[in-house]
Parts: sequence; structure tokens; C-alpha cells
Amino acid sequence: MIKQENIRNFSIIAHIDHGKSTIADRILEITNAVSLHDSKNQMLDSMDIERERGITIKLNAVELNYHYKNEDYILNLIDTPGHVDFSYEVSRSLAASDGAILVVDAAQGIEAQTLANLFLALDNDLTIIPVINKIDLPNADVDKVTKELMDTFGFSKDEIILTSAKTGVGIKELVEAIIKRVPAPKGDIKSPLQGLIFDSIYDSYKGVIILTRIKNGELKKGDKIKLMSTDAIYDVTEVGVYTPSVKEKEKLVCGEVGYFWGSIKSINDVQIGDTVTLESNPAKDMLPGYKKISQVVFAGLYPTETSRYNDLRDALEKLKLNDASLSFEPETSHALGFGFRCGFLGLLHMEIVEERIEREFNIPLIATSPSVVYEVKLTNGEIIRIDSPQKMPEKTNISSVSEPYIKTNIFTPAEYIGPIMELCQNKRGNYINLEYIDAKRVIIHYELPLSEVVYDFFDKLKSSTKGYASFDYELIGYKESNLVKMDILINGEIVDALTTIVHKDFAYQRGKVVVENLKKLIPRQMFVVPIQAALGSKIIARSDIKALRKDVLAKCYGGDVSRKKKLLEKQKEGKKRMKQLGTVMIPQDAFLAVLSNEEINDE
Amino acid sequence: MTNSVYIHIPFCNNICSYCDFSKVYYNNDLVNKYLDSLFLEVKNNYQGEIINTLYIGGGSPSSLSIDNLNKLNDIIKIFKLSSDIEFTIEVNPDDITKDKLLFYKEMGINRISIGVESTINKYLKYLNRRHDFKLVQDKIKLIKDMGFSNISVDLIYGMKDETLHDLEKDLNNLLSLDINHISTYSLEIHDNTLLGINNDKRISDDFDRKMYDYIDNYLEKNGFEHYEISNFAKYKTYSQHNLVYWNNLNYYGFGIGASGYIDNIRYQNTKSFTSYFLEKRIINKEILSNEDTISYALILGFRKIKGINKNDFYNRYHVDILSLYNIKDLIKEGLLIDDGKYLKINKEYLYVENSILENFV
Repeated sequence: MIKQENIRNFSIIAHIDHGKSTIADRILEITNAVSLHDSKNQMLDSMDIERERGITIKLNAVELNYHYKNEDYILNLIDTPGHVDFSYEVSRSLAASDGAILVVDAAQGIEAQTLANLFLALDNDLTIIPVINKIDLPNADVDKVTKELMDTFGFSKDEIILTSAKTGVGIKELVEAIIKRVPAPKGDIKSPLQGLIFDSIYDSYKGVIILTRIKNGELKKGDKIKLMSTDAIYDVTEVGVYTPSVKEKEKLVCGEVGYFWGSIKSINDVQIGDTVTLESNPAKDMLPGYKKISQVVFAGLYPTETSRYNDLRDALEKLKLNDASLSFEPETSHALGFGFRCGFLGLLHMEIVEERIEREFNIPLIATSPSVVYEVKLTNGEIIRIDSPQKMPEKTNISSVSEPYIKTNIFTPAEYIGPIMELCQNKRGNYINLEYIDAKRVIIHYELPLSEVVYDFFDKLKSSTKGYASFDYELIGYKESNLVKMDILINGEIVDALTTIVHKDFAYQRGKVVVENLKKLIPRQMFVVPIQAALGSKIIARSDIKALRKDVLAKCYGGDVSRKKKLLEKQKEGKKRMKQLGTVMIPQDAFLAVLSNEEINDE
Repeated sequence: MTNSVYIHIPFCNNICSYCDFSKVYYNNDLVNKYLDSLFLEVKNNYQGEIINTLYIGGGSPSSLSIDNLNKLNDIIKIFKLSSDIEFTIEVNPDDITKDKLLFYKEMGINRISIGVESTINKYLKYLNRRHDFKLVQDKIKLIKDMGFSNISVDLIYGMKDETLHDLEKDLNNLLSLDINHISTYSLEIHDNTLLGINNDKRISDDFDRKMYDYIDNYLEKNGFEHYEISNFAKYKTYSQHNLVYWNNLNYYGFGIGASGYIDNIRYQNTKSFTSYFLEKRIINKEILSNEDTISYALILGFRKIKGINKNDFYNRYHVDILSLYNIKDLIKEGLLIDDGKYLKINKEYLYVENSILENFV
């Protein structure tokens, strides 16, 4: 058995696209965890969505072996997501680690999430190994980035490791630096078991599989365990590690990272951040765990076919198992029927959840426009929190409305300061200040209403800076705003799922944009369909969808007959993904259109 | 009972810019080989019924030489033709000769469908057609002189930049030909056609509809009955063969790329010469359930302006048409009209009928 002092638990943190997953792949190869032949790119990104989008969403833990100076080592690599939405998951994997590799792109330098993730790592008291990656790129500027790392974070030049995950340069040095610099896990094998639960996965055959970092004691197959915050007790059927393939073991000991399962069917018993101990010899205290996560974006998710409500509930429950940051509760919409009000960490998180439900559970969805949580002060002095525009009380009962604000860290080359400030200004931002990292790069700080950021801020930022700016934010509290509820009427009927909260000064302009966008997104129907935006009973904008003028197969003779039927079937199938409101068919994306504040292009 | 035959002749002397049918350039050796295979297909599959309608389409059946026609006639002779058969051949104006017309007569052909498509030179050029209106006038006169009285012309509308004025000119010219049947088609642009490859765009649906309504008005005013979405006829000279399709009746389809409907099977033939020559003909077979059959009956039957005869429908499918799908709702919404004897699509919605028909699949 490997000695505790020969175990290293580490994570890799990086801004998105800086090469985190590729470095992980190379480390897997050098430790012979996978052969070069069967390696798909980005092996740790196991979800299709992760590979397709080139992002990491879920964390993963892999046990690797390395022989160094006549000693065998176990390296546990705990992968982390890079996107700002998932910083919560980052903090979870960091809590299971003793060290972190901080990856910075040799051409891009330090970016917003580099900073955010580094601070998370420092909060967790981790040893940091700075790495400059992609040194093979023609536009790599190692000297400049080295200086950034030294000036901004105080690393010394000797600490920094230069790699090219693409060519493999520097990977061996990096792995050996992990062994040399990251401390061995502390903890006592003789103490009562304390394992930090940092993730769980639902398997329809095995039940809940729990990922844990053993902080003290040991966990064996056959043990009777107790989950400390819920007092649930289970027999352990199997323990093991991922290498990345599943490898069963007799036990997990102090310092190790691995999985266990044991017919845990009740999803609610397992809480991420909880401590697992033994029933017979329980630990006195729970591990610190994580701070409770708060969702910042809420939206309704509805099955397009109302009969699939229960399937959607099952899907959400299963997703929640390994996505503790997702919350949901039943919600009813007049327009959409029964669904769930779901809370997310951000827009990307929301998109990912939607996509997983549609792909993994095959449930076509309609998502309503995302909303933040508003604080409404009523005339009777009571303060209520509203996570859905529909729940906004009558105007006469409202004394004031506050909305959440964020402070931005926007990293950008100095030449884009102008466009970024214009963008923030348009999003109702208050300028705070501007910090120069060096002569050419700055960090811009703004105060922005969160609601202005949730929809398209990130896309806008990217497009107005040719992709050079990066963005991160922190919530800074609530501020009072002049907010009103804007309803949308389709064919004369209010569609509750399209109701939004808007700033009064922007309502007319927003209303006009929304009706125009809906006009473009909703296909022509058999009849003329008026679309209106209204504040209370006052119509502030209107646009009509013209009636469908042509939808016919002009020629239909012997050879065209089967084609005609197939075409109709396809057309019908396409409409299945739309929601029928009265006689009007509305496509899924129309429900998101209410948040855009500029007109979309035709086609 | 199958009393109708479609025969596909996949050869052309010239390829039109919009055509996505099965066709190749004319080549005498290939034609002969093809006719040999066609002979076998007919011989092996025809069950000896009396044939009431026979349609030779393409491609360009008029590309066949007299020698080829002799061979084709050997195939036609296999069929027991009814004495009042409607026997149509599709022709291109530039292919027609007196000798060919004489031979058509001899074969028993009594209806000529001629691809006029446009009468304006710039659009003929755009469509890559090789004739002008003068030639069409001459050839139609020749056809009439040879004693053919049942003549149909095709018209394509919706070419890029075409105006209503152009359309009026086309329609006027067609009327001047004094023919009895007109089929009109809005130009479709398919991939793998010259127009598709050039990335040409279709006209807007709004203008398309304007043209369609214009044609409808114009032809009805001039004595043509609009009897099917794309077809107009004088003196009830409806295309009997095409009515077989729209009435959901059986028909044989012979030749490359042809489709047929026999008993409860709809089938498609291969588009590959190699497979066809090896007698590996059928590439797709759809065995119809009762529900499928009814679905097709509605999809096809509603193409007729007159609609579907409710009694005939009941006698044939043993179900009340009004009880099917959401037909009652569609009547309430004004999309379908029940005139007592017939159930039909409200003419206002004919050109958007797919949105109605999708309820029936």
C-alpha cells in the first residue's frame, strides 16, 4: 500500500480556454492512465456537452500513479470547471485538494477567472504551482506573462513552469513539481472516519455514487456508514477509485480520493459538502464543508408536452444529485401549464441544465426568460422576495423595489475601454474605477444590475472586444430601482411566461424591441396575430405577425406522394417543439426573446 | 385494381436549371439498354388489368428517336389499353417533329403535355430552356394539325425579378395558344440543380402568393376551371391520370425513379441505372395501415378544389370523414368547408394547405 506521505491531491484551475483539459490529458498520458492511442481529446470532460463546447462543467477525480526517485506516488487529479457560473464547483474540488496548478495562456495572460480561481485556491490554503501554457503558440509572450504572474500575484520566476500541453513540453517537470511542492495530505488513519463528500452521481443500477476525500480514518467495503448532516445510514457495497476507468478497492484511506456506493436510493439523503463517518465509531465533528450556495438566476422550465411533467421532476431530481447548485420547486403558468421554477448559478448553468434535460432525458423543454430575485417593499412595510416577474404584487401595494447589483472585473486590452464603457452604460451601469495591469491591459470595475447581465452581456462583451475581454463578477447587494412589470399580449391574451420586470426609463424601448423580436421568432400562422407590450393596462408597443401566405407543395403527382407525407410529418414534428397558446404556435426561443434589448436580425 | 400506369423516361437532350428529377443526357446505347430493362419490369409486374390512364413522363420522353419509340411501343403493347384511355406523353417544344408526332398517334397517345414553362426569353434562358415562344406557337400548331386535341401546357412562375406584368404576358400568350389545360408551378430551387448550385434565392412567400392569386383570377376569368392546387382545365378536360393520384387510387410506376401504389403498398424505384439494370428496382416500400391509407386519402383529396366527396369516402373507407382527426374543429375555424356533399379546404387557405394537412399525419 502507498504511504500517506506519497499521496498528492491537486486541482487544475484556469481561465476558460487556457488549456486546462489538455494539460489534464497530458498528465493522464505521462502517468500511463490512458494510452496515447485510445485517448480522446479532453478525457475528463465526459459529458457530450463538455466536449462539444470545450468547457468543463462537472468535476472529476482521477487516481494516477507515478514513479519518482525510487518511490511510488499516487496523484489524485480533481478537475474543475472554468466558467464564472461554476466557481462554486471549483471551490468544492479545491476543498478536496492540497495543491492547485494555476494555468495561464502564454498569449492571453491573466484573465478574469484566473484571478477569481486563484483567490478561491488561496482561501482554501492550497499550494499553487503557476504554469504558463501554450508556449508553442506563435504569439506566445512568455516574458510578458511571467512578469504579469510575478507582479500581480507575487510568484518568483523559478516557481513558474513553462508547458505546451499540445506538444507535451514541460509536463514531466510539472508532474514532478506536484510531487515536490504539493504537501502530502494531513490526517490520521487511526482517527474516526471523516470523508468530505464533494460530488455524487446517480446510477440507475447502483443508486447514488458518492465521491469523497478521506480526511481521517478509513472507509472499507462492508462498513456501515453515516451521513452526518442527515443521519442516514447505509452499508457500503463497493469502494474504489477512477483511473479514469473504475477500479474497485478494498478500502479508501486517509488522504485518498475515491468513490463508494451502497444502495442509496434516496437522493435527498446525500448533500454535497456533508461528512461521511462510520456508524460504529462516529467522528465527533463534521468537516467544514462548503458555504451554502445561493442561486442568482431563476427561470421556469416547462415540458412542451404537458404529460411529461413527472418525467421532468425525475430528471431534475437526478441532475440535482451531482449538481447541488441547482434548485427547483413546482410552478404553474397559465400559458405553459405545470413546470418548475428553477434556480441557477448563472446563464450558462441554466443552458447546460436545459440541454442535459433535453439530451439525457429526452424531454423537450420551454424555458421562460431568466429573472433575478427582486426585493419588494410593500406599503404595509413587509419585504418580500420575488424570483418570478409574475409574482410581482399589484402596483398600488408596492412601496419600492430593489434589485441585486454586481461589481464587475472586466479584463481587457486598453483599446477596448471605450466600447466596454458604452456597453456597461447601456446596461444601467455605474462606473467605479479602472486599474492598469500594465501599459496595455486594464481591469474595469462597474456596478451593474444583475438582471442586465444575465441575458446577453457576456456575448456583447465578447463581440465588442473581438473576444479579448474576460469577465467575472461578485454580488454586492441590493439597490432600489424604478422597476415595473411589463406584460406581453399575444393575440390579445397576456402570456404570463413572457412577463418581465424592466426599468421604467427603458420600458418603451424594451417593449418595442420585444414585440419586434417576437414577430421575427414566431412563425406566421393561418391568421394575423397581434403582439403587444403593456405596462398595466397601457399598451406601449404593438406589432402584427402577418398571416402565412404560402405553405404548399405546388406539384404533387405519383412520385411526390410519399415525399409529401414525409414533409408533413417533418413539419408536424417541428411544431411539436412549439407551445400552442390558443390557436398560436410559439417556438421555444421566443420565451427568451423578452430579455434581449436589441433587435435580432432576420434569419 | 390497378388501372393506371406511369412510365419514366429519364433522358434529356438538355438539362434545365431547376430540374431535380431523375434524368441523364440522351445516349442511344443507354436508352436501348434502359428500354430492355423497362420491358422486363413491365412484363414481370403487370397483372393484366385494363389500363384507363397511361402517362409517359420524364426526363424528356420526347428525346426518344423513332427507333427508340419503336422499342417503347413494344412495351406499350404489353398493356391491355381501354378503348377510352387517356394516354399522355410529356414533350419539349424543341424535341417535337412531325415524324415523332405521327408515331405517338400510332402508339395510341391522345394527350400531349408540353413544357412551355415561360414565354419570355430572359426567363427561358434563366431556366435553361432551348426554345422561344415562336417555336412553341409553331409546334402547337403542328400538334393540332396532327389531330391532337387534348393539350396541356406547363407554366413556371416566381423567377427572380419576375413582375406581375411579366406573368400577365405569359398568361396572355398561353391563352393565345388555345389549349385546354394548364399546369402552373411556383419555381422551387433545389440543391443539386443549377439554380441551387448558384445559390439563387426564391422569391418571397408574399409575392409568390400574389402571383398565385393572379393566375387563379386570370385563368378563371378566361374560362379555365381551377380544379386542383396547380391545375386548370377548360371543358372539364381534367388530367384523368393525375386524378388517379389525387383520388388515392392504385397505379403502376415503371422505370427509374418511378413510384407506384399497388394494393396497400407504396413503393419507389431506384434512381441508379446500375441497380435498375440488375433488376434491383425497388428501394423503398411503405406498407400502409388503414390509418395511413386514410391519411393519404385526405392529403391527396384536399388538393382538389372541389374537395372530397363525403359519400364516396364513406363507401370506400367505411368511416365518416367528419369524425376523423380534428376535422370538426377545422371546419369551425373556417379552414375546411363542408358544403353538404363535399368537404374541401377553404380556397383562401389552399395555398397554405400544409398547415392544415399536417393534422392528418
